[in-house]
Parts: sequence; C-alpha cells; structure tokens
Amino acid sequence: MKTARMLAAVGLFALTLAGASAARAADVTIGAQVPTSGSEAPYGIDMLNAIRMAAGEINAKGGVLGQKISIIPGDSACDPQAAVNAASKLVSQSVTGVVGGYCSGATLPTLKVYGDAHVPFVITASNSTELIGANPGNAFMINSTGFDQVKTAVNLFKARGIKTLAIVNEGDAYSANLAQLTRTAWEKLGKKVADYEVVNKGQQDFSPVVTRIRERNPDAVFWTAYYADGALLIKQLRQGGYAGMIALGDGNNSPKLFELAGAAAEGVFCFSNPTANFLPAARTFIENYQKQFHQPPGPYSALSYDGMMLMAHAITVAGSTDRMKIIAALKKTDNFPGIAGPISFTPQNTLARSNFVVLLGKGGQWTLYTGPGAPGAK
Amino acid sequence: MPLYEVLLQQFANGLILGSFYALVALGYSMVYGVIKLLNFAHGDLYMVGAFAGFGALSLLSGWLGGGWGGIVPAMLFSMLAVGVLGVIIDRVAYRPLREAPKLSVLITALAVSMLLENVALAFTGGQYTAFTTSLGFAGINFGLVHVTWTQMVLVGTSVVLMVVLELFVSGTRHGKAMRAIAIDQDACRLMGIDVDRTIALTFLIGSALAAAAGVLAGVYYGSINFFMGFLIGLKAFTAAVIGGIGSIPGAMMGGILLGLLEAFGTQIPGIGSEWKDVFVFAFLILFLVFRPTGLLGRPEVERM
Repeated sequence: MKTARMLAAVGLFALTLAGASAARAADVTIGAQVPTSGSEAPYGIDMLNAIRMAAGEINAKGGVLGQKISIIPGDSACDPQAAVNAASKLVSQSVTGVVGGYCSGATLPTLKVYGDAHVPFVITASNSTELIGANPGNAFMINSTGFDQVKTAVNLFKARGIKTLAIVNEGDAYSANLAQLTRTAWEKLGKKVADYEVVNKGQQDFSPVVTRIRERNPDAVFWTAYYADGALLIKQLRQGGYAGMIALGDGNNSPKLFELAGAAAEGVFCFSNPTANFLPAARTFIENYQKQFHQPPGPYSALSYDGMMLMAHAITVAGSTDRMKIIAALKKTDNFPGIAGPISFTPQNTLARSNFVVLLGKGGQWTLYTGPGAPGAK
Repeated sequence: MPLYEVLLQQFANGLILGSFYALVALGYSMVYGVIKLLNFAHGDLYMVGAFAGFGALSLLSGWLGGGWGGIVPAMLFSMLAVGVLGVIIDRVAYRPLREAPKLSVLITALAVSMLLENVALAFTGGQYTAFTTSLGFAGINFGLVHVTWTQMVLVGTSVVLMVVLELFVSGTRHGKAMRAIAIDQDACRLMGIDVDRTIALTFLIGSALAAAAGVLAGVYYGSINFFMGFLIGLKAFTAAVIGGIGSIPGAMMGGILLGLLEAFGTQIPGIGSEWKDVFVFAFLILFLVFRPTGLLGRPEVERM
C-alpha cells in the first residue's frame, strides 16, 4: 500500500516536471483557471475557448516578447478544494500569469496560492465583494463587483417607482452577499425591505415562500442566486398570482432561463455584465468565436478574451516575464481598450467603472433594457 | 391577503409538498421495514424516474399530446423501468451482502446513490432539463387561494398509490410474506417463502413509487436535473423516521406532516424562511426525543 502510494507520488512528480519543462522550452505559459467539469462546465469551457482564441490571435501576430503564448487549463470545478488543487498545480508548472476565475467561492481560496507565489492573476468573471479584501495585491478584477451590481439594481428600482422590496437568496457566499448588500443599500435610502427569504439550493418547491411574498405584497422581488432555481421561482410566483416586478441577479443571464420558466420570464429584469452580443466592439469577436467553436460565445467569454489580451499587454509593457514587473504593469493599466469596454483599476485592483447593464426578458430571450433606470439613461 | 387565506394557502402548499415526500418516504420505509436497510439510493431512483418519464413523454407526446393523455403512459413506463432498475440494484449490490454487517450494506447504498447521480451527470452534462407539458394553471379558487387541477391530480394520484400499496401489503399473500420477512427471515425460509423474490418485489414496488413521484415532480415543477434526488431523499428519510420507519401509514403521515411543517415554518411571525429548516429539524429532534419510534413505529430492541 505504502509503496504503491510512493510510486504514484513519484510518478506524478515526474509527470509534473515533464509537463513543466516541455512548456518552458520557449513559450510564455499562462494558466486558465476555469471550471471545465461539474455543473458550471458550460461557462468554464466557454471562457477557456475565449482565452485560447485571444492567445491564438496574439501568437499569429508574433506572440509576446518574441515568444509564443501557451495556455495551461486548470479545472476549478466551481469548488474551493478543486480550485486550490488546480491553482497549486499551475504554480508548480511555473506559469507566468493566470487568467480566469469563475464562481467567487472557488476563486477566493486561490488568491492566497497565487499571492504567495507572486503570480499575476486577472480575474475575468468572479465578482463577489469578498474577493476585494482577500486580494494580496497580485489579483486584478476586470468584472465589476457586487457593489456595482447593487448600485445598478437600486437605480432601476428607484426609477421604476418601487417602494417595497422582497429579496430572495440561497444562503451561499455569492447570493447572500448580493442580497445583504442590496438590503443595506435599500434601507439606507429609507425604503422598506418587505421580505427577506432564504431558500435551499435545488429545493424545487418555493410555494411557501411565494405565499409569504404574496402576503407581504412587495412592489418588486429580487432573486440573487442562479438561473436554474430562479426559473422555478419566477414560474411559481406568477402561477401563485404575484403580478409585481421581478428582477434577477447576474447569475441568471442564461437563455436556459426561458426554456425552464417559459412565458413567466417575459418582462423579467436581469442585471448582467456585458455579454458579447450587447457589445458593439465585440462584433468581430463574435464572428471569429462562432467560426472557431461553432457556437455563440457565452456570458463571460468577452471578458475572458479581454483578460488574456490585458495579460499579454502587461507582459509586453513589463518587457520581461518577471512576475513582479507584470503585476506592476497591470497596476498601471490605463484605459486598456477591451471589447467589453476600457479597463483601468482602482487602488483595490477592481475595475474602475461599472460595466453592468440591465436586460429585459422579451420574446423568449434577453434584450438590452434602455428605459428609465438603465445605466447611462437619464 | 388576509391571514386566514394565507394560512389556508400554506396548508395547500404543505399538502402538495408533503405528498411528494410521502411517496418517496414509502419506498424508504418499505425497504427498511423488510430488510432493515436505509436505501440511500432511493432519492436517486426518484431522479432516474423523472428522466425516464421525460424520455418517454418526449417520444409519446407526438401521438398522445403533452397533456395527461401522454403523461399517464409515460409515468407507467417510468415506474416499470425504474422498478426493474431497483430490482437489478438489489440483485447486484445488496443481495450478495445479505449476511454481511449492516454497515457494509449502508455504504454500498451510498455508493449506488453516487453512481446513479454521476451517471446522470455524465449523460446530461449537468444541464437542467425543461420538462414541458401542456398543463395549464386552471383550477378552483377559494377566495384568494388558488388550487390548480394539476395540483389536485398530484395529491389524488399520491393518495391512490398509497392506499393501493397499503391494501397490497395488508391484504395479499405477497404482502403477508413481506411482513413475515420483516419479522424473521430464517423462519420464512423454513416455511417455504421465497425470501429473495419477495425482497425483489419490495424493491420493485418501492422504486416504482419513487419513479412515480419523480415524474409527477417533473410535470409539476417543469425542471429536472441530476441532483434533484438528493434533497428530497434526505427529506423523505426524515419523513419516514417521523412516521415511524417501517410503517406504511406512518410514512404517509410523516411526509404530509413534514410538508406542512415546512410550509408553516416559513410563516412563523418574526423570523424569515432563513430559520425554516432550523425550525423543522429542531422539531424533529424534540419529537424523536419524546417519541423515538416515530408516529406509528413499534418499539424495537435491535436498531442500527
């Protein structure tokens, strides 16, 4: 037993060495930490595709510092433990930098792993505000954080004359964080949170909560967790006779929502980071992505593409693959032209502007909402 | 909504939720009653049932439509398929361990549960599947309380299945054999009862009931996924324990009671649904402290 385990360990070690030295030959290696297995795999694979596509375009133009970029995927599986394993492995393979990060709960513990090794980390999707305080200084968030989402949400509610609000979350790090931030912001305005509910992930039957919401009769219901359960909640709210406004957090921007909720999703609002199809600058990106992967780019692909491009830019500015120099270069990023908009960082390494948009369910798909309360609208 | 209507609506909610719990709890209770095995794979059979029903309905809805005309045959198919799957699981995973320590069988049951979940995960890619039917929201209004025909059919189907099962176990020769095996397997063998076949029959019926619940849940909620059996498996187990594990009417009562507790737990003044599960499970602990055998369970000397 013991010998077998030792043999396995030695074998693994040898494999790691072989992998690292093969990649080190001439390339600049970049880790892509995304979930490529588990329930979030469709999003992760999408992000990986976009990162590979960006690297491919850079390489076609001669690479960075005269070297080709090669991508090493690290599967975070949307699970803290798996993510830490993937991160340690990437560090041991001496990657120059890491791009990716989806599922804040899984990204959070990897911050320390990369921090200890001074690996520059461009986070392209995870946006829980918990990441901000835990950042040792080497991570850069190019997706707007929960604070920006709350601002967008509160503005929309105010503009649409909402007075009382019900907030429903699933008690996990992401949805509880968003729910609490919204509650605080809403109450600070002197308005009322009529109902604050927590449901179990995968519970399917929300009828007791629906009845309670109908009893309190708030002007709007805000669901802060993910689309799969959100679809059921929307359906049961409408079935139960609730006629007010329904708004959803950024985990709900999926075409699947319409499949699961059907007609009940019509007229529902969703706060979201910019997906490629709502970005004028992303037209070429969409075409190329479609050509290369035979499917439309998903929600976080544009940001992941930008993340890879930003990393390459920082390496060029740093003039070397020295990780500390790259981190310094990332820190100085000034209006880097991403397809999802210009990138600059706050002193906390978060995106300096809010990139949130408001979507409206119409005709069985998400459309960009430009009415009162939309970001940028007066 | 006035308070009495809210309470009435919560009662209806609890009854519907409870009838799902009850249907799944029946299978738990039956298997435990007969071979003293906590079949943790039972919740996953509910999930497999939902997918089998979905597959059958997708094929059948072409001729029979997406209404009850298509759903009933799809449900019968799923019950049969999953019933057979239950028998196969017993044959392959549990029967060879009949004489082994109880703990080994328990771990095997957990393994079967993981196996079913991960096979379903591999097949569906973890995606949620929309279970589309053409059932509407039409129904009866009692004041502001709205109960749809679908909900009534659901509760009705559950009640019918439970009554049939109770009649089967208490009134037929096979049912008598099951009850006898629960008391003493070796004596049953000596008396010429085919013990293995009777246990297989228990798995067939229990699994078929879980499949029925799975299809009904798919029809009612409109969304199925590989993980849907996990939570309901836990809840159904709880219901079976409340009712007195091993007792069929107990499982029904436990399921309904748990459903009602959850619905009214959301409604307790001063605390939100954040505390619902705390309330439900605190009640469970207190209940078991004062009545360890559950509602209808018989006191037993030997327990796992």
